Amino acid sequence: MAVTQFVVNGLLVGALFAAVAVGFALIWGVVDIINLAHGEMVMLGGYTSYWVLSLITGNAEGSPALFLVTIPAAIGVLYVVGYGLQRTLVSRVIGTDIFLTLLVTFGISIAIQQLAIQAWSANPRSIQVSFADPSLVAAGLVIPKMKLIAFVGAIVLTVALYVFLQRTRTGRAIRAVSQNPEAAALVGIDVEHTRAVTFGVSSAIAGGVGAFIATILNIQPQMGLIYTLKSFVIVVFGGVGSIPGALVGGLLLGSVEELTAGFVSSQWTLAVSFTLLIVLLVVKPNGLFGEGAEQ
Amino acid sequence: MSTSESEDSTGLLRTVLPPNQVDRVFDFCGENGWKLLALGAVVGALPPLLGLEQGYYMTVVSEMYLFAILALSWDLVGGQTGYPSFGNMAFFGIGAYATAILVKDFAVAFPVALIAAGLLAVAFAALIGAAVLRLRGHYFAIATLGVLLAAQQISRNLDITGGASGKILLQVPSGTVFYYLFFGVLVAEMALIYYLSNTRFGFILNAIRDDEEKATAMGFNTTYYKTAAWMLAALFTGVAGGTYSLFNTFIDPQTAYNGAWNVELIAMALLGGSGTVAGPVIGAFGLHTLIEFVETAFVGWQLVLLGGAVIVTVIGFPEGVVGTLREYASEMAYYERGGMAAVDSGEDTEVTADE
Repeated sequence: MAVTQFVVNGLLVGALFAAVAVGFALIWGVVDIINLAHGEMVMLGGYTSYWVLSLITGNAEGSPALFLVTIPAAIGVLYVVGYGLQRTLVSRVIGTDIFLTLLVTFGISIAIQQLAIQAWSANPRSIQVSFADPSLVAAGLVIPKMKLIAFVGAIVLTVALYVFLQRTRTGRAIRAVSQNPEAAALVGIDVEHTRAVTFGVSSAIAGGVGAFIATILNIQPQMGLIYTLKSFVIVVFGGVGSIPGALVGGLLLGSVEELTAGFVSSQWTLAVSFTLLIVLLVVKPNGLFGEGAEQ
Repeated sequence: MSTSESEDSTGLLRTVLPPNQVDRVFDFCGENGWKLLALGAVVGALPPLLGLEQGYYMTVVSEMYLFAILALSWDLVGGQTGYPSFGNMAFFGIGAYATAILVKDFAVAFPVALIAAGLLAVAFAALIGAAVLRLRGHYFAIATLGVLLAAQQISRNLDITGGASGKILLQVPSGTVFYYLFFGVLVAEMALIYYLSNTRFGFILNAIRDDEEKATAMGFNTTYYKTAAWMLAALFTGVAGGTYSLFNTFIDPQTAYNGAWNVELIAMALLGGSGTVAGPVIGAFGLHTLIEFVETAFVGWQLVLLGGAVIVTVIGFPEGVVGTLREYASEMAYYERGGMAAVDSGEDTEVTADE
């Protein structure tokens, strides 16, 4: 039964990875930027939720309902951060050399990291959510309640993004800009604004996920890069611009990591996922779903 | 540094520093590249002879040379060939660990260990290059970042590398030895790259950067040239890493595979002017001095500064100091000779460093 348990753990965590990756894929697809600061949005979301909860309760502990109240705060703050970053910095390098866009986002990433260390110290923190009774046990499988809530939360965020893109007017504008910015401008879409909204929405989703991550794992200022790279693995796996692909990729990556942790050692999970990244890039650069980006 | 001002091309600047003067400097550097390099080598070799043997400045200057080596190696692949690598520090880490392990656990003499470190880095580059050099753009950059982090994780988990706590080296040569070692490697690398930039090899690398498909269509085996440049960069980076592990007397996964350093050296190459010989070296000297100052004056803010410097460079003047100056220099020639003549004179001035 150990394998099933590992896979279940992997799926629970994988949904969080997937929700982070969806935003990363959206920015890549619409703005054509690899946002290396995407992981920092996860980190900032986690801290926002942490501080809001501390403000309410005095320490970072609380009931599940109280914790869920902080999620909109994390989402709102990160939307503003994402929108602002795109408008002030990233928009200046759109359309230039790919390498310059990578450098700008990397610059943003390390600057945010160090500022976070200055502000909140490098110590890992976590949000303690209190439950009345222990983990759920179903058919011999242990499912921690908070992980289940985080899983559902991540799925809800991902689906919400999907619906937003498919059903709303702004979502349609985003898809139009991703297909052809010039034609989108011709029909009256404010391209710059739409790109900034894309950035904001993606960061907001990442921030919301960050809050969940703060409850089941922990948060510290330098956690971001790992999430950025995991997003990259997932997007490469699922194909650029494919939300279902990213979801499947995230769940798979989570399972692979948990299986590695279970059968080898938890120290090797990162080495395995980065190796997987390189292998995937070389073997299957277009992803399993979607058509992928041009080389 | 008049570079930032040269953008707005005010009348005052033109009087103080006319473009044709700058152009003449470029011409002079282009004609006397080897002499300037030799002069730089002599000047750089002087400080220890004049009595500067230990202490803070010795360390800072040695580190400056180290970063110049790293930036120049990065630029060989990133600037000259157009493959921006975010994983050059993997070679550095492998060189550093190879030297540390050989010197400490196998009691190998350190010059031998350094050579072994360089060769190991080259072998690793050949192996990795076969995979990642097939990728382009985003994919290449992220794959190399993945290589760096995978190497870091592996070193953290192995026993031979001392795990997360790393390795401490106590019996190391004196500071003067490292000064000359870093300086010697830097001069050798500059000479080699300067030489290569005027050979068929260098031109093909530039052709790959400008349009790889056309270069292939012209019958060049681009994979061969890319891999060769990549291995050459790995050689110098690996030797620098090996020297650094002894210089620093301590090595752990965080310092050996430092992702922030990787960005730092890219920033140096860009700031100075990538695709040239002098640019990365000038950028390394300038940025490292600045970072060193910030590190002592405002502890803990150096990465904020680095991030800011990267963003400003990329948005403000992506051509770097040398590139911006060269553009400025060719401006006057454009009006004097008109048309494409100016472009020609701007293009074939090869610069070298004189630091």
